[in-house]
Amino acid sequence: MVELEHVTFRYGSETEASLKDVSLQVNEGECILLSGPSGCGKTTILRLINGLIPHYYAGELSGSVRVNGKEVEQTELYETAMHTGMVFQNPRSQFYSTDTTGEMAFACENRGMPEHEIYARIDDTVRRLGTEKLMDRSIFQLSDGEKQKIACASVDVAGTEIILLDEPSANLDDDAAQTLREIILEWRKQGRTIIAAEHRIAYLWDLFDRALIMDSGRMIREFSREEADVLSAADLAAMGLRTNIQESPKDIVLPACTETDRTMVIRNFRFAYPGCKEAVVSIPELRIAQNEITAVTGANGAGKTSFLNCLCGLEKHCEGILEYDGKSYDNKQRQKLCYMVMQDSANQLFTESVLEEVIISLTAGTADEKTAALRILEALDLSAFTDRHPQSLSGGQKQRLAIACALASGRKILLLDEPSSGLDYRHMREMAELLKQVCETGTTVLVVTHDCELIRACAGRKITLG
Amino acid sequence: MAYASEQAQEKRRGFLDPRTKLMLVLLLAVFVLGGLGGSTLKPVKTVLSALPFALLLIEGKTGRFLRGMIMLGIGYGMLAAVGVLPGVLRHIALMCGGILTRFVVTVMMGEYLISSTSVSEFIAGMERMHMPQAVIIPMSVMFRLFPAIGAEWTSVRRAMRMRGIHLGGAKAGQVIEYQLVPMMTSTVRIGEELSASALSRGLAAPVRRTNVCRIGFRIQDYILLAGGVVTVVLWVMELCGVKLW
Amino acid sequence: MNGKDLINIGIYGAIYFVIMMAVAMLGMIPIFLPLLAVIVPILGGIPFMLFLTRVKKPGMIFILTMIMGVMMLLTGMGPWPLLTCALAGLGAELCMKSGNYQDAKKAVLSYGIFSMWIFGNYLPLFTDYEGYFAQRADYGQAYIDAVSRLMPLWMAPVLLIACFVCGIIGGLIGRKLLKKHFEKAGLA
Repeated sequence: MVELEHVTFRYGSETEASLKDVSLQVNEGECILLSGPSGCGKTTILRLINGLIPHYYAGELSGSVRVNGKEVEQTELYETAMHTGMVFQNPRSQFYSTDTTGEMAFACENRGMPEHEIYARIDDTVRRLGTEKLMDRSIFQLSDGEKQKIACASVDVAGTEIILLDEPSANLDDDAAQTLREIILEWRKQGRTIIAAEHRIAYLWDLFDRALIMDSGRMIREFSREEADVLSAADLAAMGLRTNIQESPKDIVLPACTETDRTMVIRNFRFAYPGCKEAVVSIPELRIAQNEITAVTGANGAGKTSFLNCLCGLEKHCEGILEYDGKSYDNKQRQKLCYMVMQDSANQLFTESVLEEVIISLTAGTADEKTAALRILEALDLSAFTDRHPQSLSGGQKQRLAIACALASGRKILLLDEPSSGLDYRHMREMAELLKQVCETGTTVLVVTHDCELIRACAGRKITLG
Repeated sequence: MAYASEQAQEKRRGFLDPRTKLMLVLLLAVFVLGGLGGSTLKPVKTVLSALPFALLLIEGKTGRFLRGMIMLGIGYGMLAAVGVLPGVLRHIALMCGGILTRFVVTVMMGEYLISSTSVSEFIAGMERMHMPQAVIIPMSVMFRLFPAIGAEWTSVRRAMRMRGIHLGGAKAGQVIEYQLVPMMTSTVRIGEELSASALSRGLAAPVRRTNVCRIGFRIQDYILLAGGVVTVVLWVMELCGVKLW
Repeated sequence: MNGKDLINIGIYGAIYFVIMMAVAMLGMIPIFLPLLAVIVPILGGIPFMLFLTRVKKPGMIFILTMIMGVMMLLTGMGPWPLLTCALAGLGAELCMKSGNYQDAKKAVLSYGIFSMWIFGNYLPLFTDYEGYFAQRADYGQAYIDAVSRLMPLWMAPVLLIACFVCGIIGGLIGRKLLKKHFEKAGLA
């Protein structure tokens, strides 16, 4: 079905090859898991199979990639699109239409399939994947989990024999990952060929026929079903992979705050979007341990991000106060007390170099700004990137830099929104260590996350919203 | 009962065809906002100005309707206050009121078009008008990206506020750079992911596209289209010096 | 042109249009009306110069310009921009083509030429002075006085030249930011 023979590929903008002499054969109806640390080349393989390389992402390609016996390089993208369908990582950017039904019909419309046939296919997909509630809605009203479900549904409607999944669960909570699992099961039942690139492997651990582990552009290990069954989480960790044990943050028990703990108190928090009656955030009283790391959990759509925005003083219409060290802080005052590392940290980096970025964050009147900034970068293991452009860093490095800026600003409370989404095992561990290090400087850390491994690795407390 | 997409599409079909909406936007832009035409067209303009509000109500967009009404109220309030205000204030009120009353109406029409038309409907409308792909694809991408750009803009502004970067604090040029560079970087990345996703689903294949959207002219479209023709005819007659009333 | 090129036109067209509309709102205040010929070309240079790094085939610049003309028609600026867009788009396209779509200096010049389409928004002020103010009579005499004082006939060539010159400046700024940010960020 899919054959890669001695494929080497280098992206036009890069100096090093992303894939080095990779060969791979996938048979009809097989379900393959591709895993490995960030930047190992798993997304590149998917792009080769659906023709985005070399037709969209240009670069230097050698070796041969065949789908259904056809050389992908010599086939037009829209022809390859008849056989392969892909679910992308980012739920916000893969929709061409703004309504769910139109999105599901999109691939078939592009082929010029008669309307009545498309309707029949959509009805069939809706029945099998159970998306009734999501039909005829605007995509802007859907949660990330619902968006990924629609993305899967549109691949399903297209009916391609090969389905490619590029870290589809990166932004999803456990329930949504379970839904994804059920959809993959359904595809297996139909005998479709599935290739899934994932860090988060627990939810599909028992689904695949073969697991291929990559590192630095090469295939390093291959596990058959039987071999995979005897692997433990520790074995995986040794290979730099995430756990294969399914767990929900609900199962993690952490001590609650007591009267004797040093706490900060949130009082009468209430926030509703303008024009909405129902509040997204409504917290009469909440104690949060000071100088500790607290995990904030809750399902997709429970208002976790809104809660952080409120705490940070970014929602003008948020009512309520925060009591910290005996003083009470309103919206505006909280802006100077809290620092947030956003989920999309690219939007909070402004300057032309990593060093400059930290310097502008330093509190006014810092003597010898450059030395102070360099010291922080050193502590966060970013010294090697001092002169790099912040936007050219990888996702994990951008978050690190955002944390460096938070430290430079000397704010007392650090908030993070899903800092480990899309991070591999090593980077997740590094993030956990970094948060502990930040906490030791006397900072209170709140982490919104659904990542159990991260919670176990660093959090001392847990609060559940919604 | 099982879900039936064909019936569902028929049921959620917009009140107007996207082509009719486009014509209305054009009429309002030219006659109300652009102010074309003299006294003969006064009553026509009043009807045109009321249209977006009526349409917003028909589509059940009460929130937008109310917001528009409030803005319009402020505009007329200013015009009404002209009589009692002294000196300079009077001129300012007249100017702001005049601009506001015109703009609100056109903005409402634009909001109606964008909020009631999905990208699929827009594409369907353009296809029926036999527009080439070279026009349909860029324009549909634009409509798809406007909300995304808005979201990125807000996100960057928030980040700036959180980091304590204000217009007064740094030089204006720098603030613009801080605002524009991350916003553009994010938008371009979103756009590129969008195009990878669209192309890997066969967009721009050299076949005649089909479309599952139910569009087409119905009685209300014909009435409005006829109204559009009447407006243009009246305007031409006025140009030729014919006085009707 | 393939699908990727057409989508790119949409992406950069959207960014350019949003920036332009955000600035154009200032134009309701009379003093800013002539200044738009300065501000829009300068800020618009940032997305446009990034767009030009994506342009490798003929036609992309022209299509983007014509779409701006259509958007102006839909936002109430009348039919004149369509004409200036056709001319400016063609000029910018030919200029870029003469440099084989690679020449950095021609890219700046091309943006200068492109920016002259903005003049189309001012044209009714000069071609149909009476009509323009008759259509805006309800803004009050003070507004009319203010605008007509700012916009005597000799301003017409001044504005056209301002669009071009500020386009060149905007193009240079755009190039600077391209080097300073977008190239390093891996976007250009």
